[in-house]
Amino acid sequence: MAHFPHRETDLQLMERIGWHQVKAVENRAMKRNFWKAFAFMSPAIVLVCGLLLMPVVYNIYFSFTKWKKFSGLDEFAGFSNYARLPGNPYFDAAFYNTAIWVAASIVFPLAIGFGLAVFLRGVAFGNVFKNIIFLPRILAPTAVAVIWFHVYAPHGVLNSLLALVMGQPVDIGWLYQDNTVTPAIIATFVWQSVGLVMVLVLLGLSAIPKDPLEAARVDGATNAQAFWHIILPLLMPTLVVVTILSVLSGFTTFDLLWVMGVGYPGQRTLSLAVYMYFESFQKGSWAFGSAIAVIIGIVVFSVTWIQTVMQSRVDRMTR
Amino acid sequence: MNFKTKLLSLAFAGLMSASVVSAYAAEVTLVHDKAFWAEALQKVGDAATKATGVPMKQNAYSPPEQYKAYMQSSVAANDPPDIFTWWTGGVYEELIKTGAVAELDDIWAEMIKSGEFSEGVRDFYKVGDHVYGVPLHLSRWIVLYNKADYAKAGISEPKTWAEFVSNAEKLKAAGITPFVATTQDGWRGFIWFEEIMLRTNPEAYMGLHTGKVAYDSEPVRNAFKIWADWYAKGYFSDPRSTEEVADFAKGKGSMNLIGDWAIGLVEKAGMKPGADFDAFIMPNMDPALPSSTILEGGPIMLSKKGMAKPEVVNALKYFVSVDGANVWAAASGNALGNSKANPPNVIVKKINDDVAAMKTASYPRWWEAVPADLQGEMVAELNRFMLTPTMETAESVMTNTQKLNAAYWADKQ
Repeated sequence: MAHFPHRETDLQLMERIGWHQVKAVENRAMKRNFWKAFAFMSPAIVLVCGLLLMPVVYNIYFSFTKWKKFSGLDEFAGFSNYARLPGNPYFDAAFYNTAIWVAASIVFPLAIGFGLAVFLRGVAFGNVFKNIIFLPRILAPTAVAVIWFHVYAPHGVLNSLLALVMGQPVDIGWLYQDNTVTPAIIATFVWQSVGLVMVLVLLGLSAIPKDPLEAARVDGATNAQAFWHIILPLLMPTLVVVTILSVLSGFTTFDLLWVMGVGYPGQRTLSLAVYMYFESFQKGSWAFGSAIAVIIGIVVFSVTWIQTVMQSRVDRMTR
Repeated sequence: MNFKTKLLSLAFAGLMSASVVSAYAAEVTLVHDKAFWAEALQKVGDAATKATGVPMKQNAYSPPEQYKAYMQSSVAANDPPDIFTWWTGGVYEELIKTGAVAELDDIWAEMIKSGEFSEGVRDFYKVGDHVYGVPLHLSRWIVLYNKADYAKAGISEPKTWAEFVSNAEKLKAAGITPFVATTQDGWRGFIWFEEIMLRTNPEAYMGLHTGKVAYDSEPVRNAFKIWADWYAKGYFSDPRSTEEVADFAKGKGSMNLIGDWAIGLVEKAGMKPGADFDAFIMPNMDPALPSSTILEGGPIMLSKKGMAKPEVVNALKYFVSVDGANVWAAASGNALGNSKANPPNVIVKKINDDVAAMKTASYPRWWEAVPADLQGEMVAELNRFMLTPTMETAESVMTNTQKLNAAYWADKQ
């Protein structure tokens, strides 16, 4: 029978080399490192707390007060500001419009941006087109709104072009009519946001490995089959990111609606963000406006959380 | 350096620091939302600095929403600025109710004693028994008209309602659109509404602001009938234009109902006051009604802590003095009601003469008189009428505005 010499356990080994002392040294180093790391992070922590968390906390606090114009900041209102929201016709209209706006800001930029990305891959002068399409993204939304306000003006560029095509004067008040104002502003949003979607999809496409595609081709897969069964699943993480970005910008878009909707007298341009601004800054109902802001925050947080869960599932599936 | 020299140097440095600190502390800053007048206000500030020896600056918060937010939070936090501009009407009374602003009764007593201001102007800024503001500008709402168009149509300034309507007919017949009116910037919808209400039923016009007259009552319906009829006859320019003043200057309409502050803007657009365009006060429908105009008067106000600082009070007094008013008129084209100051242009002078001769009464502008909570929604409704100017729209506008009005006043009871 073979004799094995006595083997030291890990614990015995650590005791022999004096692990208590090693642990103490490690702890001291960790403490030092923590404070060093904290010192390096402190500017960012101060900024995040001061510019992000504190305003959020303050906003939640304001939503429980009676602050209107010059007074009520120190009077507690309970949930009364929130109780005013359900059944309020302006809030209902704003919620409905925001839902339409968010849906449109996902579907159209994604469909067009995806199409452009696929189409412009390998096309001659593709980079030139990509740059031109991305260009509106670098403009401030307010500047975009002012430009398109004049494009859609009754005597603006769009009506002039239509008049040339139709051979007769065209006098459509695109931003003044119920049936045209929303599509007109959505088209402007798509014009500005499609470039970013296209670039993200292009990055996603370029990251797809060639091996599975080549293997599929060898197995006789058609282009459509390769797209549906290989490209699209591998592109899914990118598409989820694009969707999250679109949802966030859809919920928080304010500039386009506020600037382009200035002359429109109806409620089609009333989104949750516009309604919050109107109640707070125009009517001075700060507490009520804060309650609307909290609702926007909860909705955006919930939607983003659901999408993040989806993204992690997609990541697991494609790994 | 011996001890004595060191001591002297220290004393000198101390004196210099003290003088710098005291000079800084004595600086007066006028806070306002009129970015478009920032340069003109600074010119008055520079003149005030020379006259009083205390530096006077101006600080613009723009747009007005941002300014309101700043004022509301600073008053709520008990730290309002020393001297600032504001608006008359409902928002004026709301600010006064906070107790943060100073009464200016003594300053007004001096202004009236000097013979430079009338009691009528003072009363415009009175709430209860006290006065809380002095005028930044006093603008009457008048009808600017294109003199060349009037000559072409063979008409002259109307003295009666019939002449006014006849002028519009003759201009239309001559191929000229009589009135420029737009929904530019989203706030102009009330202009013709308030004027027609004032010309047809001034009592009902005032009743609208206190909830005593309904927005779907007969006087209002009557005003809409006149307004819709003029639209049907093609008297108005395209309401969707975003360049109202430029439209008037370019001849897209012959008359422009607007505050006299716009005269300078029309001049900048290329027309010479008095030579190319002139103005009149719109006549009343019923000749038995007394002469009247809409008066818009932005106030300058002092907070209570501003009132306690002599340099702030002196800056305010300089602004309304003859010298201050002259600098302001030359820089901005605005009058502030000082009768001994130079009128900013020939048209304002002529209107002032007419007002004095006809003993014209002043009525507040709808925008300031209507409860501030209703402004936005109501003016959007009036804009809606201008974009689809039929009696059918008018009926729904009246229903919607009255719904808002009734809910507001029911809340107040």
